[in-house]
Amino acid sequence: MHISDGVLPLSVSIGSYAASALLVSWSTRHIRSENLPRMAVVTSAFFIASLVHVPFGPTSVHLLMPGLAGALLGPAAFISIGLGLLLQSLLFQFGGLTALGANTLIMGLPAMACGYFFQRFKGRTQLRQSIVGGAAGALGTMLAAIILAILLVTGGEDFFGVAKIAVAAHVPVIIIEGLISAFTIGFIARVKPALLQPSFYKKTKSIHD
Amino acid sequence: MTTLQKSLAISILCLMLAGQPGTLTAQEAPQETSQEIITLLKEQNRNLSQNLRRIQREIAALRADLDKPTIKDVFAGIGYIVGLFGFAAFAASRTRSR
Repeated sequence: MHISDGVLPLSVSIGSYAASALLVSWSTRHIRSENLPRMAVVTSAFFIASLVHVPFGPTSVHLLMPGLAGALLGPAAFISIGLGLLLQSLLFQFGGLTALGANTLIMGLPAMACGYFFQRFKGRTQLRQSIVGGAAGALGTMLAAIILAILLVTGGEDFFGVAKIAVAAHVPVIIIEGLISAFTIGFIARVKPALLQPSFYKKTKSIHD
Repeated sequence: MTTLQKSLAISILCLMLAGQPGTLTAQEAPQETSQEIITLLKEQNRNLSQNLRRIQREIAALRADLDKPTIKDVFAGIGYIVGLFGFAAFAASRTRSR
């Protein structure tokens, strides 16, 4: 789910850079200093997740986990994902530096949407949290595929064709992502429920205070 | 040496020289060998190109392996992330205590 260098037209890459910079600065306002360790752990997990290949039938797919990052971090997930993608493109050569803005949008917007979705519907019981977490994981991957298609359309492709291909190619990822998110959220709900509390209650109490 | 012997030797020589046209028939022998050489060369060429293809495949596989992130990259990235967030925590604690 990475866009490589030179796929997007220049105006779109600059525009997506500007949009992600805006969202990153908005996202930093939601960081509270006591959540920094949580963010570090989730960022590291997101950074590594793309190396974890899950065997699926004849091929293997790798995790993306925007949904999980969003569920754990809320709006702060955007900066976490941006940092993870920057390091991935520098160290692993995933995606390119010119497409970094677009890639951050592809992963970051679904993460924030999933964070909202998870906090809105998580309920109180562990089972419900686990199910909603799984749904958030699946939703995150699907939204990422759709945003990828939208960005590729600006390169002059036909939207529904690209969207169909992108979503169809990610069906196994969506399923596995949902299962793994459900398992992880269920585990966290049992072991450390405090991690699932929203990290963005009081906007006024950011680190800039 | 008697003249008889001399004339015998000369006649043998003449016979041998006269037999030279026989080498015309023997001309086909080098053609056969050149055919064999050509087939040998072709076989050798095939072997070499096979080996070359194998080596090219190996180079491509090596290059693909080089593109894969190593364990070093993984730990470097985790170190960067932890360090950056540690720095953020440090900055946050400084601004708060002030």
